[in-house]
Amino acid sequence: MQTVIETNALCKAYGKHLAVDHIQLHVPEGCVYGFIGPNGAGKSTTMKMLLGLIHPSAGQVFLLGQELTAKNRLPLLRQTGSLIESPSGYLHLSAQENLQIVADLKGIPHKDIARVLEIVHLTGDRNRKVGQYSLGMKQRLGIAMALMGDPKLLILDEPTNGLDPAGIQEMRSLLADMPETTGATVLVSSHLLGEMEQLVTQVGIINQGKMLFEGSLRELQRHSRGSLTLRVLHPQKALPVLRNNGISAQLKEDLLTLPPLRDELVAGLVQTLADSGAGIVELTRHTKSLEEIFLSLTDAKGVS
Amino acid sequence: MLYRCIQAENRKLHASPIWIMFFLLPVISAGYGTFNYLQNLELLTKSWYSLWTQHTLFYSLFFFPAMVAIYAAYLWRLEHLGHNWNLIMASPVRPLALFFAKFVVVIKLVLLTQLFIFFLYFLCGKVFASLPGWPPPETFFYLLRGMLGGLSVVALQLILSMIIRSFAVPIFIGLFGGIVGMLAASRSRGLYWPYALMQYGMNSNKSEDLLAGSYLPFVVSCFLWLVAFFLLAQLLLTHRDVKS
Repeated sequence: MQTVIETNALCKAYGKHLAVDHIQLHVPEGCVYGFIGPNGAGKSTTMKMLLGLIHPSAGQVFLLGQELTAKNRLPLLRQTGSLIESPSGYLHLSAQENLQIVADLKGIPHKDIARVLEIVHLTGDRNRKVGQYSLGMKQRLGIAMALMGDPKLLILDEPTNGLDPAGIQEMRSLLADMPETTGATVLVSSHLLGEMEQLVTQVGIINQGKMLFEGSLRELQRHSRGSLTLRVLHPQKALPVLRNNGISAQLKEDLLTLPPLRDELVAGLVQTLADSGAGIVELTRHTKSLEEIFLSLTDAKGVS
Repeated sequence: MLYRCIQAENRKLHASPIWIMFFLLPVISAGYGTFNYLQNLELLTKSWYSLWTQHTLFYSLFFFPAMVAIYAAYLWRLEHLGHNWNLIMASPVRPLALFFAKFVVVIKLVLLTQLFIFFLYFLCGKVFASLPGWPPPETFFYLLRGMLGGLSVVALQLILSMIIRSFAVPIFIGLFGGIVGMLAASRSRGLYWPYALMQYGMNSNKSEDLLAGSYLPFVVSCFLWLVAFFLLAQLLLTHRDVKS
C-alpha cells in the first residue's frame, strides 16, 4: 500500500520551543487516519505544514509520493482538499457564492458545486447567507469546500469541533464513507479519541509536539484497555475465585472493580466465575480517556 | 490563474457593506469642498479650477488615503475573519496572484470612486456654485494622474492590512501617511514618499500644474515604489507563515 502522506523528522520551532518535534507521519492510501492529541499538541501546526501554510523548521513532507517543495506545491494542492481551523467561509455571501469562489480558485467547473452541496446536505440552504448558518452547517460547508474538485487527499482539522452529538454523528458517517464513495484518503484531527473510534482505521497520537503512537486503531485499543466493572448476584462467592486467580478486586456496594486485563484472561475468568455460582449480571470494560492513554503510552516508552 | 483570482475577489464584493463606504466618503468630501469654496469666493476666483482645488484638497489629503486604506483593510478582513486566509492560501494558486487580485479589485474600486468624485465635482459646480460651462478637461486628466500616483499607496495599504490583523491600525497609518505626504510635498520631497504622489497627481490645492514639465520623475517614482511594494509582498507571502 502506498503512503499518501509521509513526513520525515518534521519540526517546527517557535523560539526555543519545539511545537512539532520530529514527527514521522505515515498515512496509507484509502484510509481514514485519525490524528489525535489534546489542544495545543501540535496537530494544527503539523497539518498546516502538510499544506505549506507554515514552513517547517526542519524535516520533509511527502504528499502523494512527492516531496512538497515551493515548486510543486501548486500541483499537489490541486489534488488536496483541506479544512483548517474551521469554520471558514465568507459570511456575507451564500453557500453557493462561497463555493463559486472556491471553484474559481481551484479552477474547476461550477457544476461540481451541486455535487458537493448534495453530499453535505446543504442543497436546500445553498442560497442563504452563511452568516445565518448554524455552526454545524458552517462545518458542513467547510467540508463541501474541501470536497470541491474531487481531491485525492482530504486534510481536515477538527471537523467535529463545536458540533452537537447529532452533528458529530452525521460528520462521522460522512467521513467514514469518504474513501469508499470518493476514493479519497482522509486525514482528520481531533482532541477526542472516543469521537474518532468509530471513524478511523489508522491513528497517530501526538502530545506536546511528539508522536507517541502510530498504527492501527486495534493496536491502540490494546493500550486503551481500562478497568472492568463486574456486577454479580453473590459477591462473596466471586471474591475468593478472583483472589485464587491472582486478581486484586475492590468491592464497593455490589460492584467489583477489576484492573485492566487481557481479553483471554477475561474470557476465562467469566467462565470460572459462572461455574462458581456467583451469578454474573453485568461486565463493563472502561475505555481509558485520552489522557490516561497518554500516560500509559509514555510509561510504556519509559520502561522499554 | 490571475483571472480566476480576480474573479473570486470580485465575488466577495457582492452584497458587501463596502459599497456604503463607496458612496458615503466622496459625498462627504464633495460637500466639504463645496462648502469651503462657497465660503471663500473672494479668494477663490478661478471658478472651476478653484472648485477643483477645494474638492481635491481634502480628498487627496484625508479621504483618498483613508478610502484606499479601508478598501484594503476590508478585503483582508474577509480573510482574517473565519480563517479564510488558510482556505485561500491552501488553494492551488500562487500567493502573489491572490495579492495581485486584491490589488486589481482595489484599483477598480478606486477608479470608480475617482469617477464618482468627478461626477460630484461637476454636479456641485453646476448646482451649488452655478459655474458656467464645463469643467476644464485638465481636471479629468488630473484625476487619472492621481490614480497613477495612488497605485503604490494601494499596494502599501494592502501589505499593511495583510500583516496587521486589526482593521483600524492600517487605516490610521494611511491617514498619517497622507499628512506626512502633504509635508513632504510642501518641501518638494514628495517623490520620496508614496502618499505624496497621489497629491501631486491630483494637483490638489494648486491652481498651476504641479507636474508641468516634470512628468518623468513622477512616473519613475510611481513605478519604483510599486515594484518595491510588490517585491515586498512576494517576500512576505512566501516566507512568512500563514497566521489566521
